[in-house]
Amino acid sequence: MFVHIRNLAFKYPNSKDNTINDFNLTIDQGEIISILGESGSGKSTILRLIAGLEMPTNGNIMVGDHCMCSNSSFTQPEKRGVGMVFQDYALFPHMTVEDNIKFGLQKWSRKDKKNRVGEVLELVNLEDYRKRYPFELSGGQQQRVALARALAPKPKLLLFDEPFSNLDADLQIRIREELRRIIKSTGVTSIFVTHDQDDSQALADRIVVLREGEVAQVGTAQEILGTDCNFADRMPVKPRVLSRV
Amino acid sequence: MENARILGSSSWRIYFRVVLPISRAAIIAGVSLVILEVLNDYGVVSYYGIQTFTTAIFQTWFGMGDLQSAVKLSGTLMVIVLGILVLERIARGRRQFSFTTTKVKLLQPVKLEGPKKWYAFSFCMFIFSIGFIIPVIQLVYWATMTYEQFFSQDFWQLIWNSVSVAFIASTIIVIMAVVISNFARLNRGMLAKTFPKITILGYSIPGAVIAVGVVTLFTALDRQLFGFYEWLGLEPTLLISTSLFMLVFAYVIRYLAVGYNSIESGFDRIGTNFTEASRMLGMSVTKSFFKVDMKLIRGAIFGGFILAFIDIMKELPLTLILRPFNFDTLATKAYQYAVDEMIQQAAIPSIFIILVSGIAIYVFHHVLEKE
Repeated sequence: MFVHIRNLAFKYPNSKDNTINDFNLTIDQGEIISILGESGSGKSTILRLIAGLEMPTNGNIMVGDHCMCSNSSFTQPEKRGVGMVFQDYALFPHMTVEDNIKFGLQKWSRKDKKNRVGEVLELVNLEDYRKRYPFELSGGQQQRVALARALAPKPKLLLFDEPFSNLDADLQIRIREELRRIIKSTGVTSIFVTHDQDDSQALADRIVVLREGEVAQVGTAQEILGTDCNFADRMPVKPRVLSRV
Repeated sequence: MENARILGSSSWRIYFRVVLPISRAAIIAGVSLVILEVLNDYGVVSYYGIQTFTTAIFQTWFGMGDLQSAVKLSGTLMVIVLGILVLERIARGRRQFSFTTTKVKLLQPVKLEGPKKWYAFSFCMFIFSIGFIIPVIQLVYWATMTYEQFFSQDFWQLIWNSVSVAFIASTIIVIMAVVISNFARLNRGMLAKTFPKITILGYSIPGAVIAVGVVTLFTALDRQLFGFYEWLGLEPTLLISTSLFMLVFAYVIRYLAVGYNSIESGFDRIGTNFTEASRMLGMSVTKSFFKVDMKLIRGAIFGGFILAFIDIMKELPLTLILRPFNFDTLATKAYQYAVDEMIQQAAIPSIFIILVSGIAIYVFHHVLEKE
């Protein structure tokens, strides 16, 4: 088990109920996990807890051999070696694509930095956009830069928060195919959060269905589709997608 | 508003039934701001010989040397100020209107035609004239009578005093405001919530009250430090309480809110996303601040600096009480000329306050446009 989350609980200071209740999950190295849930189900909060942007009220998170947080310790987000692609990408508007990607490589030598920028830009097919500023890019391009930036420091774990919510529908389909290819080619363990069943199916090895801060179901897309009639009703099965899972 | 229009109300009805009630919070806030400013004012009321709390504090202190009574008067004035702040809260009540949709569309300006155009224009022009044009013309006229003083070295000293003190104080204000608002932004909990509120309080307190408080504090501090001064081989005198340090300290208390509001709104605009992104890429909070946040809110930082700078340039009551011996700013000099029945002489320093502030505002807009 590469990622191990046990008894995770979280409560925002001004809310009465726990946002996350006793969340448990284990993830294998290189696996792509999708956390699927309605808005308000706490799915983004789980991501923020794994990232270290929120402090849990209970439970612990292990990534590799490192304890990210437990009831007695807490590793700051910058020390976790976890990458994140934000919902609105959060590319630094005052830096070029190249500088955005270099931002996470501060301890690398100049030459290594340059090579790494080249590598990740090639991976996302944006070699010619090095010197552009984020506002000069389309939404899809911005997202790929955000991915390149998150991948550059070689994180142990990569998190995606609603990665497709800002994209047009047809672009969304194209990009998620490509996203899966890129993630699988780097072999990085990934978790992404979405409310869209299609996204989950197309991208993930396993799906975690979240309801009101608790795990409702875990399994492959096929297992989930087989057991939950809601899903099957609302979603015609796409063989093309299923065959890959 | 557009909603009401579609529902078929006339413009007048809309104004009284929708616009006024919605604006209530803003109007009350505006009124209380004016009241607080008037309570703070010293120059105008003392020139026209009107007795107010502020002038009374001055008189008991300087005229009669009675710090005790000055403290008592300040206390009373503070109670009134707090009363006003509480009243404002109550008047606003729960109705702190916010918008149900996040995007507030700006109103389409209506182009006025015919006589209406001229009514609107002359109303605005009238206020502008009384408030600015006519006084400035008068000042310029007086200035032509007294322009020689412009060439004296004392006068350049005045400008230097004003600008340098305002510059130092505004710099400190901006740094403190950035630290406090960044802390409040990235943390939850009691401390992060109360700090900004205390910060803003200073702006509601009349200058004379702050002055009394600061003097009392620093004289006490000096007394405590007598031993230390002796140990350093200095004469045990009131060292801090006669220095510029005290004045700058008081400026910071009073105008921290000005810088803070500007910087806070800058932070509000960028949100916490960039900071989080930076931390996920391995930067600590402090490094993130210098590499990302600070660069993104440059305009707001600069704006806060300019606003505080202008306010300090024209500050009177604090400066009058707390300045070191023989230290004059443009504002205190203009005030002295005015009370000494040499109103014409006051013109040049006054014009220079307007001029320096004007340059500051111009630079501010220039920089903002570039962003």
